[in-house]
Amino acid sequence: MDSAAINPEDRPTKIDVKSLTKRFGDLLVLNDISFNVAQGEFLAIVGPTGCGKTTFLNCLSKLMPTSAGDIFVDGEVADPKKHNISFVFQEPTCLPWRTVRRNVAYGMEIKRYPKEKINQRVDYMLDLVGLTDTQDLYPNQVSASMVQRITVARAFAMDPDLLLMDEPYGQLDIKLRYYLEDELIKLWQTLKSTVIFVTHNIEEAVYVAERVLVLSNKPTKIKAEVKVDLPRPRKLIDPEFVALRKQVTDLIQWW
Amino acid sequence: MAYEAVKVKKPLTLILLPIISVLTFFLVWELIVEFDVVPKTMLAAPTQVGDRFIDKLSDPNPDGGTMAAHAWVSAQEAFLGYLLSLGIGLPLGLFMGWFSVVRGVARPLFELVRPIPPIAWIPLTIFWFGIGLWGKVFIIFLGGVVPCVINSFVGVRMTNPTLIQMSRTCGASDWQIFTHLCVPSALPMVFGALQIALACCWTNLVGAELLAADQGLGYMITMGRRLALPELVVLGMVSVGLAGALIGMVIETVERRLLSGIRR
Repeated sequence: MDSAAINPEDRPTKIDVKSLTKRFGDLLVLNDISFNVAQGEFLAIVGPTGCGKTTFLNCLSKLMPTSAGDIFVDGEVADPKKHNISFVFQEPTCLPWRTVRRNVAYGMEIKRYPKEKINQRVDYMLDLVGLTDTQDLYPNQVSASMVQRITVARAFAMDPDLLLMDEPYGQLDIKLRYYLEDELIKLWQTLKSTVIFVTHNIEEAVYVAERVLVLSNKPTKIKAEVKVDLPRPRKLIDPEFVALRKQVTDLIQWW
Repeated sequence: MAYEAVKVKKPLTLILLPIISVLTFFLVWELIVEFDVVPKTMLAAPTQVGDRFIDKLSDPNPDGGTMAAHAWVSAQEAFLGYLLSLGIGLPLGLFMGWFSVVRGVARPLFELVRPIPPIAWIPLTIFWFGIGLWGKVFIIFLGGVVPCVINSFVGVRMTNPTLIQMSRTCGASDWQIFTHLCVPSALPMVFGALQIALACCWTNLVGAELLAADQGLGYMITMGRRLALPELVVLGMVSVGLAGALIGMVIETVERRLLSGIRR
């Protein structure tokens, strides 16, 4: 709880996004976006449909080159080979030929961590997300929610400098989503990772994040920043929560 | 453990139907020959083929080799050609799928050579290798290599792009993505290639032996024609068919073991 309890402004900056710009030909998608993420902060990003969230994430994760500006991790230009950047995609990205256990180990194997460290870390993560019993099964033998937990576990297992999540629970039903959001918060509090969580679900954003960035329509800019300083576990019917949710909803309205 | 595999019992009809269909096939065949619907000079009855088979187990006449000798020669040729086509075709196809340099160099040449039927190579092959073992291995290789390249190429190209992105964000190098992602993704297609290539190899084996051989199952078929012994021809055909089916079954078993995670 400790790092989460401290005000994000008082923590050192982990991620520094400087005038991030992306053009596809004449189409300006991302227009000079700058912001910071503190060490161990949980940041949510919401925006209207088609505002370039996916492009934004692809640039942040360095999957796509930027037209101008860059992303800095601890003051250095972000590089997936050097930094640990994890990405949880909306669609499940388990490798079907690996067991649950070896899926969780995948990122660390790519980074060539020593075997013992991988084993230790995988045991720990499997225990945290409750997949120890199913570790020897293949992804097609477990349920859809477990599949997404595998990818979340894999992402956290790498001890990421930056963990990007692209609507990871968008395809799950609401009960499971609540459950997994709580699990995500627990993981984040335990492992103190720096998370950027992109979603179109405003309630979800306000529920999980410490701070919410609201994006504008294309060309995308940061329209507003909303701090969510509510105690956890948060209650969806708490008047303060409802007020914040309404504030973000009003900001996002484009009609 | 709480997660136990469920055993499904196969209904009796599903076990019996294949047996019945095969038995009926042979019975009708036997009757057709027996009642002279087709003259005996043109087709041999299964019982005749069986008699000839028992003869050929020990008697090298009239075509100069026992069953075992013919089968052994053919098996050698087929396996060498098959292994060669796998050994060259699969890596080539896999590399072509992922590395654009390999694709750029090899694709045009491959597309040029591909449409030439392997049998068209027989004259050149006889110039180069004579009618010995390696000439036939070469023809068989040419037949098997094409499906190997195509299937493994397509298999790699079908790798889920999101998985590639995921690996990139993990910091994976091109080579790591190839070995950790593209190759296992391509495996179902590669196993398809094993089956198709085997069929091609086996087909071309007979083709090669028909024209240039002094031993082997294909040669036995040719001799059957020359000596007007239809049961010898049919025996050769049946042996080729049975051996092909047997190897196919072995490959399928291996495939099922290895790909348990990918199959749904």
